[in-house]
Amino acid sequence: MTLRSSADAAGAAAATVLTAALLLCSDARAADAAAATHYVLDPAKSSLEFTFVQAGAQNKGRFTRFQVAFEFAAESLAASRLDVTVDINSVDSGDEERDETLRGGDLFAVAKFPQAHFAASQINRTASGYEAVGKLTIRGVTHDARVPFAFRTATENGVAVGYMTGKTSVRRLDYGVGQGDWRATDQVGNDVGVSFALRLTAH
Amino acid sequence: MSVRNTKHRWGALSQLFHWLIVVLIIVQVTLASLADDLPASARKVALLARHKSVGITILMLVILRLLWRSLNLTPLLPDTLKPYERFLARFTHAALYVLLFAMPLSGWMMSSARGFPVSWFGFFTLPDLVAKNKSLYAALLTTHETLAWVLGAVVTLHVAAALKHHFMHRDDVLRRMLPFTTPGPKA
Repeated sequence: MTLRSSADAAGAAAATVLTAALLLCSDARAADAAAATHYVLDPAKSSLEFTFVQAGAQNKGRFTRFQVAFEFAAESLAASRLDVTVDINSVDSGDEERDETLRGGDLFAVAKFPQAHFAASQINRTASGYEAVGKLTIRGVTHDARVPFAFRTATENGVAVGYMTGKTSVRRLDYGVGQGDWRATDQVGNDVGVSFALRLTAH
Repeated sequence: MSVRNTKHRWGALSQLFHWLIVVLIIVQVTLASLADDLPASARKVALLARHKSVGITILMLVILRLLWRSLNLTPLLPDTLKPYERFLARFTHAALYVLLFAMPLSGWMMSSARGFPVSWFGFFTLPDLVAKNKSLYAALLTTHETLAWVLGAVVTLHVAAALKHHFMHRDDVLRRMLPFTTPGPKA
């Protein structure tokens, strides 16, 4: 009898501890999610550039309008996500005539597909920084994409800021950027390098 | 026919330079006029890329040609030429050399001013000759086109003179620039 009740008491105590532990865990997760910092883009101090081979030579361009939403907690990557929307109309390859061609139906077809979108709901730590794993949509075509990046935070004039830099490459034909004779890759290469240097401010 | 020039005949290498450049100029005119008629397209990019590569090739050949010329005799002009003909011949040849430099250089500068780096058949990219500049590009485009017409005029004069020598003077001025011929007075 005595033995039995002490066993019961021990069982009850164990259950209490377990419940408390579980509660603590879920509290911690909630706290982590809440701790993820929401960053928005500082467009004036950010760049999104691309490089491509045209006629055997490296050429450069950039997009001047894009939005970035970044939820980030270094200690809780599960609660981190990255969302980038690019206004394709803002393409600037350094040549107006070429930009018009790029906006045209055979290339970006901006009239029909004004935006490109990268949505990453998974952020992984890598040997050299992080990588965002998600879906990249260009010209209405979506593929899985992994974008490696480095991220560092700083406090500038009392404001928490983050600097995100990285580069990746995109095969334009995977997304149909190049119809008709633009499918040929001898003059305009298939691989397009994309690099970004973003200044983000915490909100 | 020897490789080097003699007093009376252009050697094999001089002839090779001459005729290779003739062929490449014909290629250039063809590529440029094909590209001119096209809207922005991959084919146009390809034609203009070839045009630039061939133009740079001509520039390299002209440099080598002038070097070779400086290391060789220049066949003498016929004694029968009047002083003004002598002057005209020298002037035409000098103008051709100047234009063979000016054409590719103005084209290369034009591409740089437009902001399009020039590649030689994709093997290497040439440095930009000038910084990107829209109005300079427009001026160079006009220059390049005008020079093309001037080159056309001087080449016409050059060909007309060669034919006049061959058929009217019946001398060996044309034949000494042709392979498989025997120079000397025409029978």
